[in-house]
Amino acid sequence: MGVALLGMGICGFTPTSTGLSYREMIAKAAKMAYRDAGVTIDQIDGAVSAEEDFPSGYSIADEYVPDQLGMVRKPVYTIPGDFMHAVASAAMQIETGRFDILVVESYSKASNVLTKDEMVRFAFDPVFNRFGLSPHWLAGLELNSFLSETGYAIEEVAEVVVKNRGAALANSNAPYGDNFSVDDVLDSRPVSLPLTELMCAHYADGAVIAVLGTDEAAYRYSKKPAFISGIGWGSGTSILERRDHSFSIGTALAAERACKESGINNPGEEIDAFFVSDTYAHRQLMHMEAIGVNGNRNPVVNPDGGALGGGDMFEATGGARLYEAFTQLRGEAGRCQIDAERLLVHAWRGIPTDSCVVAILDKDRRAL
Amino acid sequence: MSNRVAVIGVGMTKFMRRAQEAPGELAAQAVRMALEDAGLDIDDIDAVTLGTAPDAFDGIHMKGEHLIAGAGGSNKPYMRHFIGGATGVMSPIHGWMHVASGKYNSCLVVAEEKMSPCTPHPAGAFLTIFDRVTEQPLELTLIHIFALEMARFMHVYGYSERDLAEVSAMIKRNALHHPASQVAVDLSADDVLNSPLLSWPVKRLDISPTSDAAVAIIMVNERIARTLKKAPVFIEGVGFRLETAYWCTRDLCYPDYVAMAARDAYKMAGIVDPATDIDFFEPYDPFDYKALHHLNALLLDKTGRTVRNLFESGNLTCEGSHPMCPSGGALGVGNPIAATGLMKIAELYFQLSGQAGKRQLQGPLRRGVAQAWGDLMQAGTVVVMGAEGASPVTSSRWNDMKREDLPGTPIKSVDAGPNISDAPDLRYAWDNGFAISTYLDGLKKGKIRGSLDSRTNRMMVPARPFSEIADLAPVTNYYNLPDSGVVKTFTISHVNWDSSPLPDGKVNIFAVIALDGINEDMGLVHKLGEVDPQNVKIGMRVKAVWKPESKRTGDILDIKYFAPLGRKKTNLEMTQIKPVEVDVLAMSQKQGKIPLSYRYTAGVGGSKFYTDLAKGEINGTFVAERDEVIIPPAMFDEESLSILDPEKDARAINPGSGFIRSFTVVYEDRLGHLLDKEQVVVQVEFPGVTGSIFGMLEVKNGERFYEGSPVTLVKPKKVSGPDMVAFKLSSR
Repeated sequence: MGVALLGMGICGFTPTSTGLSYREMIAKAAKMAYRDAGVTIDQIDGAVSAEEDFPSGYSIADEYVPDQLGMVRKPVYTIPGDFMHAVASAAMQIETGRFDILVVESYSKASNVLTKDEMVRFAFDPVFNRFGLSPHWLAGLELNSFLSETGYAIEEVAEVVVKNRGAALANSNAPYGDNFSVDDVLDSRPVSLPLTELMCAHYADGAVIAVLGTDEAAYRYSKKPAFISGIGWGSGTSILERRDHSFSIGTALAAERACKESGINNPGEEIDAFFVSDTYAHRQLMHMEAIGVNGNRNPVVNPDGGALGGGDMFEATGGARLYEAFTQLRGEAGRCQIDAERLLVHAWRGIPTDSCVVAILDKDRRAL
Repeated sequence: MSNRVAVIGVGMTKFMRRAQEAPGELAAQAVRMALEDAGLDIDDIDAVTLGTAPDAFDGIHMKGEHLIAGAGGSNKPYMRHFIGGATGVMSPIHGWMHVASGKYNSCLVVAEEKMSPCTPHPAGAFLTIFDRVTEQPLELTLIHIFALEMARFMHVYGYSERDLAEVSAMIKRNALHHPASQVAVDLSADDVLNSPLLSWPVKRLDISPTSDAAVAIIMVNERIARTLKKAPVFIEGVGFRLETAYWCTRDLCYPDYVAMAARDAYKMAGIVDPATDIDFFEPYDPFDYKALHHLNALLLDKTGRTVRNLFESGNLTCEGSHPMCPSGGALGVGNPIAATGLMKIAELYFQLSGQAGKRQLQGPLRRGVAQAWGDLMQAGTVVVMGAEGASPVTSSRWNDMKREDLPGTPIKSVDAGPNISDAPDLRYAWDNGFAISTYLDGLKKGKIRGSLDSRTNRMMVPARPFSEIADLAPVTNYYNLPDSGVVKTFTISHVNWDSSPLPDGKVNIFAVIALDGINEDMGLVHKLGEVDPQNVKIGMRVKAVWKPESKRTGDILDIKYFAPLGRKKTNLEMTQIKPVEVDVLAMSQKQGKIPLSYRYTAGVGGSKFYTDLAKGEINGTFVAERDEVIIPPAMFDEESLSILDPEKDARAINPGSGFIRSFTVVYEDRLGHLLDKEQVVVQVEFPGVTGSIFGMLEVKNGERFYEGSPVTLVKPKKVSGPDMVAFKLSSR
């Protein structure tokens, strides 16, 4: 059985969003997604949200999920993971054969969290790793390990920033499009050297909604569905002392599974573009390495500007990449449009994790 | 069609008020035991799913990520699921999805909770479960909302405080034979009634204790289950439902959402009449009334007569026709939220496979149901499990398991060993948006405002911009409403939000008030004042008492309290108003924070590390399975999930033999402010051992360092956490 993407909706994708409560933002994105999918609320069997407690500011973020989705009293639960983890969970639910159409939700009100570094620091092990320092220390150390183990040059990391923020100038949903040079990136303010300020994604507010369903539901209701032919997820160890900081094992596991399900043997040849997590610039390169695509071909990566151009939206970040990929497959990506039939969407949960998801999204359902 | 899914093994730690183990260490011990119980290795496990309730308990943001290694999720597909207190029974449902979908053959399901780090009391974590604008300023906590629900339940179904005390005593007695039990005692109803009154009608012994624990189960598809010696116990039905977060919008006496989840599960299991088709029941019982409240829903009987008859005839006991909470429940075994739900699933497995020892119910047992509940009186998760035919007689170590056989190290105080304190500075400013800004603007003007959902003809309080139950239809008409109403339920509280006692003689009376002139089930929560607590009654008429206009700020506390109205007439007029205009001044923001602090035990591995560090020493831990020494010292090996003893398996490492593996130069502090002087964090490795240690590098002026530079550990003057770990360059 396949799982299809019937429609999506978004709201925000802006540095701040003062005029909208999180409820209002999500409701707007939900209505957009339901209309796009061609379904009514009655036809939706349930919801999966991707949320963590502290970004939401609630001790139990899950409580505040159903109302603005119109999913009151329906089967609803939360995955404290990236949006793409929730997509994977919803896909499993559909594949049990007991659910036909589900909605996946995530949002960010990052602008409402006044102490974001402190919050990220609070994710570190209090016994061994929670220093009184910026949590970016781990990204800086990881970047250092990545450079020395792989042979990438720091200029290549800076080039990711130049490309993604430049690409975002063509993306009307991306607030951080701009023209930078490699030197601008390298000379920007040091955060945790070799990591500089411009190598870190800014935060953004936004809501993302996806409507998933069986292929039958997709053909019946959606004018322009896309098809998930493979989805995998994986996590590297949470013990930082025994993790290889130059490689994303979480991505490698996820990609291996997703590609296997899709019958992909050579990702570099068979996938048209890659929407991968770049909340730190070096992570885009690290993720591509783990997917198994290196420099022997010039892959199309984050043609819409990624998170460096569009913003880090906490758990919704992978949802933004899925939205970009979905829009590309539909030929609706405007000035960012590329030729695309088969795309890879990747998500990473950010420091201090190596938890990742990879999904293969196809324009048409293909026979294996 | 779904693949059938079976439970084939269980592991659990003791349930403890405070465990020495760190969260991952608790999880690892439960996982190790579950693997042994099922006769599997961690390599046989395809995927891992973890259930754990609020991050505010363990005191770790994204704590699912923190628990990966301990839960056996390293280098595997791993995902956490979460529905507040209902998480523990969602855990096997999420595991079921992994296997029933055909995606994986096996799934390790782990539930962990470490509530003890949260200070002054884990109850404080519940302040921030309430709506931050309309409820949090009242300083409510979980005990208050339970008390409100309990009072309503007693009022509608006619249970007395003594009735419910008997339920508490019965369930706690059942726990006498549960090996993990934290508080099994043979109490009388009088003991419960005479325990300290916390928030009427809730007394200390009506409530389950807070706990640290982990439980793990292993779920596999039918093909694998059939190859094992033990009789499989199958998941027959699952259901999960989530109600609106607007909890003052419905009658709390009956959990419809639990009944709906139960119906979903029964439909899947082919159950027509739960009272005859199910042999025993494990409803969630964080409070004694909750067991009956949930059992009403599990028996799909809103009248409550079935449960009332069973209760009065003694048929809810283990010897009765409908045994309830034979495990001993949350009340007796303990309530490490998510782990409690999974403990109930384990009980279904034990009972249905004949492994419940002295708790074994009279058979034959065909089916059992377990249920959990959570969020704002809102979430219901239900699982039906079934054995094939009669209960098999199985020889199992679970039959003779005693508390001392289970892993877990209870400690009296966090000061019993090395520990770390932290108070996160978590501050927020919330965008209230259009509807709530309009609501708060009303409060400033001395008015309670609602918005009219014309699709359902409901006047909604607080004002909302859409109809949550009618297709998200837009709602645009706003009204000033009467500020009088009727008490639907109330509690007389003797405790603060953080569980500390109020000064002698002082009480807070919280009530859900249905406002006059609008739908009966549309209310708000607030305090009552100008009334003797003895005289408060359900059905009493009350009216808002406002602060003087000059003191009002656009906040729910602009209403001082609601006071009795007696027979006085009040203005029932509703006036349509113009909502606020959208501009940056009118769009209000509310400042907020999460006011919690934490004291973490260093865990078993961490205790060894810090004890050594104080002496300027480093030890690794020998892992026999891999013939390797790992650092930092550990209680478990995340690759083999073998349990280690950092003392017995210690291997001394020369603290002067380190070298820099990687480093970074940090310019910002924990809040993102610039440091006066940049700091160097180093990852230090040692020859012949796996792993590394992170710490600060003390660099003297002019000293240069590189990857590979030799370093030596600095013996700290004081040991209080990771910031005290430091190295200096050495001249080896």
